Amino acid sequence: MIYLDHAAATPLSAKVKKAMEPYFADNFFNPSAPYFPAKKVRAEYDTAKDRIAHTIGAKGNDIVITAGATESINLAFTVATKKVLVLETEHQSVLETAKNFDCKLIKVDKTGLIVLNDFRKKLDGDVGLVSISLANNELGTIQPLAEISEIIRAERQNRLKNGNKTPLYFHSDASQALNLIDINVARLGVDLLTINSAKIYGPKGVGALYVAHGVKLKPITFGGGQENGLRSGTENVPSIIGFAVAAEEAKTHLNGNRKHYEKLQKIFREELKDAPIEPIFLGNKKHQLLNFCPVAFSGIDAERIIYKLEDKEIYLSTGAACAASKGEKSHVLKAIGLTDDEIAGSLRISFGALNSEEDIKTAAKEIKTAIEEELARLGGESA
Amino acid sequence: MRSFFEGHKDSARAACPLPQAKARSVPSKESTHRPTVYLGMSGGVDSSVSAVLLKEQGYNVVGVYMKNWSKDLPGMKCPWAEDLADAKRVAVKLGIDFKVFDFEKDYKQKVVDYMLSEFKKGRTPNPDIMCNQEIKFKLFYEVAREQGADLIATGHYARVGWADTSSEGHPQLLRGRSEEPREDGRDERPEEDCIVPTLLRAVDEDKDQTYFLYRISKEALAHTLFPIGDMKKPDVKKLAEEKGLKNAYKKESMGVCFVGDVGMKDFLREYIEEKPGEIREIETEKVLGFHDGAIFYTIGQRHGLNVGGGLPYYVVKKDLEKNIVYVSKNLNEKNLWTSEIELEDLLIRGELPKSGEIEIRIRHRAPLIPAKFDEGKVILKEKIKRPASGQSIVFYLGDTCLGGGIVK
Repeated sequence: MIYLDHAAATPLSAKVKKAMEPYFADNFFNPSAPYFPAKKVRAEYDTAKDRIAHTIGAKGNDIVITAGATESINLAFTVATKKVLVLETEHQSVLETAKNFDCKLIKVDKTGLIVLNDFRKKLDGDVGLVSISLANNELGTIQPLAEISEIIRAERQNRLKNGNKTPLYFHSDASQALNLIDINVARLGVDLLTINSAKIYGPKGVGALYVAHGVKLKPITFGGGQENGLRSGTENVPSIIGFAVAAEEAKTHLNGNRKHYEKLQKIFREELKDAPIEPIFLGNKKHQLLNFCPVAFSGIDAERIIYKLEDKEIYLSTGAACAASKGEKSHVLKAIGLTDDEIAGSLRISFGALNSEEDIKTAAKEIKTAIEEELARLGGESA
Repeated sequence: MRSFFEGHKDSARAACPLPQAKARSVPSKESTHRPTVYLGMSGGVDSSVSAVLLKEQGYNVVGVYMKNWSKDLPGMKCPWAEDLADAKRVAVKLGIDFKVFDFEKDYKQKVVDYMLSEFKKGRTPNPDIMCNQEIKFKLFYEVAREQGADLIATGHYARVGWADTSSEGHPQLLRGRSEEPREDGRDERPEEDCIVPTLLRAVDEDKDQTYFLYRISKEALAHTLFPIGDMKKPDVKKLAEEKGLKNAYKKESMGVCFVGDVGMKDFLREYIEEKPGEIREIETEKVLGFHDGAIFYTIGQRHGLNVGGGLPYYVVKKDLEKNIVYVSKNLNEKNLWTSEIELEDLLIRGELPKSGEIEIRIRHRAPLIPAKFDEGKVILKEKIKRPASGQSIVFYLGDTCLGGGIVK
């Protein structure tokens, strides 16, 4: 099997799996229970939270554990009042949540990078929340969050000067980036940051939301008051333990990962050069997650390519798995101005830790073969 | 074959020349004259295996997903996109072309609106029958033909036969299954006017879907192939597995996709406002409880009444004007039974026997019951549970599905 869709899901790392193991049956206790073994689990749970928080330069108390990025994002948006600004290429979890408010979309350029002037223009005195992902989930384009937070800071100053008491918060979805970018919440200047275990070789169904001091959220689930009252429900101990190990591993291997992916990128792009249709590499080469290699082959039906490769046990995705399943064209690819043909012919490829150079060569070769077959089929049709 | 035609074979006069039994060889792959078949593909095992068979028979197959419905309902996500992906995956594996026909607007108008208006009249319509009549074997057929299809095909369990109507007495059945395509691709149907297409029951008795297909037009039928009509379902599944079609394991879709999983009542609730009313016992006029809208109830219905205690109550009558549902514990209640069914909107393909003696089916998979058709009425020897008004009664003569009508 050659798996090239790490933007969608990553396999659980062996180390993570091993760390989680004791918490399913042996150390199963409810962390809120009063006896010693439960207290011990509480301590380990709190330590795990600290470990997760440390990887983004925060403390355990600053993060709320959730059931994944979507829930983190929904929780983050409880800070919003009436007007929100989000990037037009945000993930559905942001766009759909933003629809509950007066939502304005910020434009991106052809590489998926934020158009800062458009952002400045739209950031008026009524905006209460800005949400911009650190890296896009289809293109891997990395946004200049520090620059964006500077603009936000200036707007806050402006409001203080004008006596405008509307608070302004900055949230970023960093789901895709934890194992490729050295994330530090202070450096990024965010008030809220979503991170996710499932994309960094940790278990699925667990994520976290960093909440800066003084940012007041409203709970979306009610009950026993866990997670500082923001997320009631018995803690998912094994997953949080796993998440902690995954986050630390991501941080530790940051440099190694980068080198690995740089090499794979180079090989893949080189191999695709002589494809029967000229490949259009999408995103921003300079500001792109190194494991992302989205590419469009205009004039072919990418879905057909995927089903062909599936037979060879090569798994990759079209535009975006989420959008694809609803049968709609990717809003991200539309936003960067691709033509319908380019969108239809676009593949989302994201490398992973276990991919070898040989894998990448094989995948590129099979993609080329599949395209050739499709061209032959189309040629036959018109004859 | 248990055909009623057999008894007439010897006596039939061959006044109409039989179509020549030309050699029907499977064309070579390079042949550009392969007849083109547009196959409705749902992503399920039946249409997938149909694609395999048509391709093996040498047709130029184009898979088509008909997008008829995509709206999610409370508690149920419409699986259309996954179905489409499954259908397309099969098409790609077989190396055939694949298209999506968007019939959503037409489906809403022709099927859903019809259904709702029928329900509002207190009737119990069958949307699947309407879908086959208006969408799959009309719109799909027309668009496919416009785009150059010689034939259409679906994964229904049914067969198309050809009968010679020129002889006196009952038509002569000429052949009971689709044959391999001819080289010129055009001459699938016999040319003679007296040779007419007939709808035949599937070989798999248990799966036969002719009940749903009885209203399709003669013209569409003449251009339709049912590739799995002479197979049994377990063999279809086996073939799917042999061919590596992963959807052999997929859950089967039942009837209309959105009604299948949600249930008709939940679906109707989306469109028809609830209107509380009384449930009365028909014999005593006593109010036993309350319902949420007489429209939602069907005569003969036993479940879902908010009336408890002892023997079950059956819905025996509805008064839509006063919004009253009448029930009875008496299984012999006269409203529940009948030996005479008045029909409207009759659709008969071919000729009914002069004696009027046929067999009928009152719902999909219901047993065939002997009956006599006379002046718009079906007369039965024994009383049966009264079919609801709006339901279809389908006529059979041996293997042939002659058509049918809708209960008045």
